[in-house]
Amino acid sequence: MAMTREELNKLKSAAQSNPPRNWIRVGYSTCGVAAGAKEVLDVLNEEIKAHNMDVIVKKCGCVGLCSAEPLVEVNIEGAPRVFYGKVNKDVARRIVDEHVCQKKLVENHIYEI
Amino acid sequence: MKRILLQDTNGSLKKELRDFHVAFSSYLRDNNLVDKAQVVLVSDIGVYNKGIVAKVLPEGFIYVNLNSANIAEIVDKTVVKGEKIDALSFEKKNKQMRLVLRNCGIVDPESIEEYIAADGYQGLANALAMGPEKVIEEMKKSGLRGRGGAGFPTWMKWNITRGVKGDEKYIICNGDEGDPGAYMDRSVLEGDPHSVIEGLMIGGFAVGAKHGIFYIRAEYPLAVERIQKAIDVCRSKGIIGQNIFGSGFDFDVEIRLGAGAFVCGEETALIASVEGLRGYPRPRPPFPSVKGVWGKPTVINNVETLANIPYILFKGGAEFGKVGTEGSKGTKVFALTGKVKNSGLVEVPMGTTLREIVFDIGGGVLNNHAIKAIQTGGPSGGMIPSQFFDTAVEYESLQKLGSIMGSGGMIVMDEFDCMIDISKFYLGFCVDESCGKCAPCRIGGTQMLAILKKISEGKGEPEDMVKLNQIAQAMQKASLCGLGQTAANPVLSTMKYFEDEYKAHVIDKKCPSCKCPSLVVYSINKERCTGCSLCARNCPVNAISGDRQSKYTVDTAKCIGCANCYEACKFNAIVRQ
Repeated sequence: MAMTREELNKLKSAAQSNPPRNWIRVGYSTCGVAAGAKEVLDVLNEEIKAHNMDVIVKKCGCVGLCSAEPLVEVNIEGAPRVFYGKVNKDVARRIVDEHVCQKKLVENHIYEI
Repeated sequence: MKRILLQDTNGSLKKELRDFHVAFSSYLRDNNLVDKAQVVLVSDIGVYNKGIVAKVLPEGFIYVNLNSANIAEIVDKTVVKGEKIDALSFEKKNKQMRLVLRNCGIVDPESIEEYIAADGYQGLANALAMGPEKVIEEMKKSGLRGRGGAGFPTWMKWNITRGVKGDEKYIICNGDEGDPGAYMDRSVLEGDPHSVIEGLMIGGFAVGAKHGIFYIRAEYPLAVERIQKAIDVCRSKGIIGQNIFGSGFDFDVEIRLGAGAFVCGEETALIASVEGLRGYPRPRPPFPSVKGVWGKPTVINNVETLANIPYILFKGGAEFGKVGTEGSKGTKVFALTGKVKNSGLVEVPMGTTLREIVFDIGGGVLNNHAIKAIQTGGPSGGMIPSQFFDTAVEYESLQKLGSIMGSGGMIVMDEFDCMIDISKFYLGFCVDESCGKCAPCRIGGTQMLAILKKISEGKGEPEDMVKLNQIAQAMQKASLCGLGQTAANPVLSTMKYFEDEYKAHVIDKKCPSCKCPSLVVYSINKERCTGCSLCARNCPVNAISGDRQSKYTVDTAKCIGCANCYEACKFNAIVRQ
């Protein structure tokens, strides 16, 4: 069935309503995956679940700073929105523990893009 | 709570930064302000060569060239009162502009809902309501030119194909990105597949094509997977199919995989490959717009070109035309690689200078070495030496310098890159990728490469440079397709700008960058050598011997000039000349 323009606009307003308040995006293009984004994504999902936090973890494309992949963007109420670069499993755990739970920025991994 | 981000932006102030950090933290502690601010060391603050830099969040104030004397003021004014200190401030201009990459890193590429929320498929809906003539009119207003390299106006390409009579037409997305160092098309296909599909559909509607084909190289499995998923979901939602948005326009898309030949990015070879034939180019005319896939009128657009189109049809061609320069509109995505601090993708308005791209966005040269040149346009492009770094990037300006915009590879070369070595690399690439159909490319390339090899081995003669020029001109004039016509460009541009380096190799038998193994002699400075044996352990051919007392020596007869020892030595004891 073909979609009509009205249906497209309905989908648009539905998709725009209720944007998630707390989210983490993981760069998941070839550059990110090659640098280890899959591990990072898995750890973030596990840790968010373990801490029982209301945070959506999702994939996105490459934001451009390929030399700092895996890149993770974190937007949590109560802390500034930042990018973390060169994230590994350990840093991913610290992001959840320090940034998400304690609202403290993680040292030595922030990149301004 | 304020966040104070700190970084040493010179790369040489480690100790000063540590002291500053400690002093800042203790000042906060002494004044009972620990819960008012968090001090964080960061990896990249986005400002370069401005000493110790602090960025205050959430305000975003940037303070530069700091020392411990500034701490009290920053804390008292900014942390406590939220005031900006103008004397320390630095206003950072954002030189990037994201049109093509507008959704990359923001939407989930596997979610059509997120794309639709980001105004996705609105451009298509506008186009279908406008009718094909108005779409082409809008494209003309935008001034968009092909991003695959040649810069042919997109509206004109569409208009020509539209004007050709035929009941069946095709539109192809050229995703056979093959230039060494260029990967922006892959990134767009992977990061924002729906925008390329939307661009392809708008193009199909404008030229009267009901069939779209994605030609993507098989080396991009994730791009293929995401495009396929996006096509599938569009079909199930009724965005691809029949009577799209009630307009009566029918469209379907399929993917064809390229088997990894560089020449298949050339449009006639690409068409042959799509048809299942060997990827050979053929003479033009007839142009693909008249006789393309299966003899039907066909339009071929590059990935980045297509990704621009939904934006143009959503915001209007005039809006797009505000960005860029007189002759080159919009933005260009570059894959910035080589000896640059922040390698990655940058998107800048046309007219940005090379210097701004490399130094302000790229953060300058790796290890603070001196920059020698910037290579643009891959194997079809050329080298741009440092005296032209203030050139504004446009199709014409780069061509004037003997290079091209190309698909958008931009490789930074530093003082340790030998121009003969680089030319050899690019020409070698074209020789490997030459399909062999026409003689100028097949034979000319091989002969030029042989001469370059000879020069790099120190066996060059002065007349070799004349020969290189002659063959290059023959290739440019007589080759069948773009690959052969442009294959000599890297050699020509290095000969033009770095003639001294060629002469050093040919006449003095020296490689000034110490890169060509046959022309470099390695030895060890006994006074600096500590006898640590690191060089000997890194030598792949056991050419270095010695012990702690008598120190180490290089057997030049065995040495292959790989530079492993040079890079391994921590005491600068390896001498090369």
